[in-house]
Amino acid sequence: MLGCYDFCGHYEWTFEWLRQQGGEPLVREYWDEAIRLDSQRHAAALISAKGIKGMKEYWGHTLVDEGAGYDCTATDAVFRIDMHECPSKGFLLRNGLQQYHDYCDHCMGWIGPLLKQCGWVVDHQHNHCGQCWWELRRSDDPTPPSKHGELSGAHDVRKRADWKKSAPLDTYSRANDPDDKTPS
Amino acid sequence: MTPPANLLPYTDTKPVGAADFYFAINATFRFVLNKFGSEGLRRYWTDLGARYFAPVTARWSAGGLPAVAEYWRAFFAAEPGAEVEVRESSDAVTLDVKACPAIKHLRAHGREIVPCFCQHCYFIGEAMAAPAGLTVRVEGGNGSCRQTFLRRNDASAPQDFARIKEASC
Repeated sequence: MLGCYDFCGHYEWTFEWLRQQGGEPLVREYWDEAIRLDSQRHAAALISAKGIKGMKEYWGHTLVDEGAGYDCTATDAVFRIDMHECPSKGFLLRNGLQQYHDYCDHCMGWIGPLLKQCGWVVDHQHNHCGQCWWELRRSDDPTPPSKHGELSGAHDVRKRADWKKSAPLDTYSRANDPDDKTPS
Repeated sequence: MTPPANLLPYTDTKPVGAADFYFAINATFRFVLNKFGSEGLRRYWTDLGARYFAPVTARWSAGGLPAVAEYWRAFFAAEPGAEVEVRESSDAVTLDVKACPAIKHLRAHGREIVPCFCQHCYFIGEAMAAPAGLTVRVEGGNGSCRQTFLRRNDASAPQDFARIKEASC
């Protein structure tokens, strides 16, 4: 049986299996079709119906369930996540698992299109070491991403000493597409 | 119960997995089936069993049937909602799956289950077992089943797929 305990391991393995079958477009299609539209359809239902309240409900449940070390900050206009210990990237790092070249892209691979469908855009950075931040705003809100500490104070992951230490940062600005990133 | 870390090839800091990941497992099977057909899905399962689970096969090769029993006890201890009895004899290890945690969770949340979902236990299990000189037979499905691991030489007949039930919500 394929289990959920080590899900992140065989999920990441699957990205590379799909890439070998059909290249990167098939991996993107998988994130969008299988994860956004099928597996995580409850997320779209919550966020499209309730906006920021739905985001709180969705990520409040799922990140606790997955054992994440994170902090969420919300105003009427923006929802921010500071991820200090990503449960899935952490699992891969601790177990020395890497088949696909950039596991972290999968989040933007399904969350980006989901938020686009609901009328939101994403500012996001990840450091490939299990830390990232997200700011989600309505697509007609031109507000730029917050300065360090401005929204989440001491919880801002960018204040960590190891934020930029070991791996390059990928940066997304008002994005909805996993390939719409600027590597540092 | 926290699974003993040294019995599973990949371990986490939390004692059991997040059940919503069963949604993604089911969705992945559906995606591969739609893209590549039944043969493609069987190839995906076989590759997964042979490559991703290669560390398990290595332990089964070294430890034989007792290692098979140890693995499945640890495995099901980490799956939320699993009700499984693992029985061990000198000839076989039998998993009596009284409540499949995946089918139970998918059903509880009204998810459409890929009809051939239960076949993955045969194809992944067989790909894990074969290089260790073992084989598996699956009977039942759709929420409860019996899986028997035995030495390849002791298997009297190949897997009969008619004995694996289709899954439904």
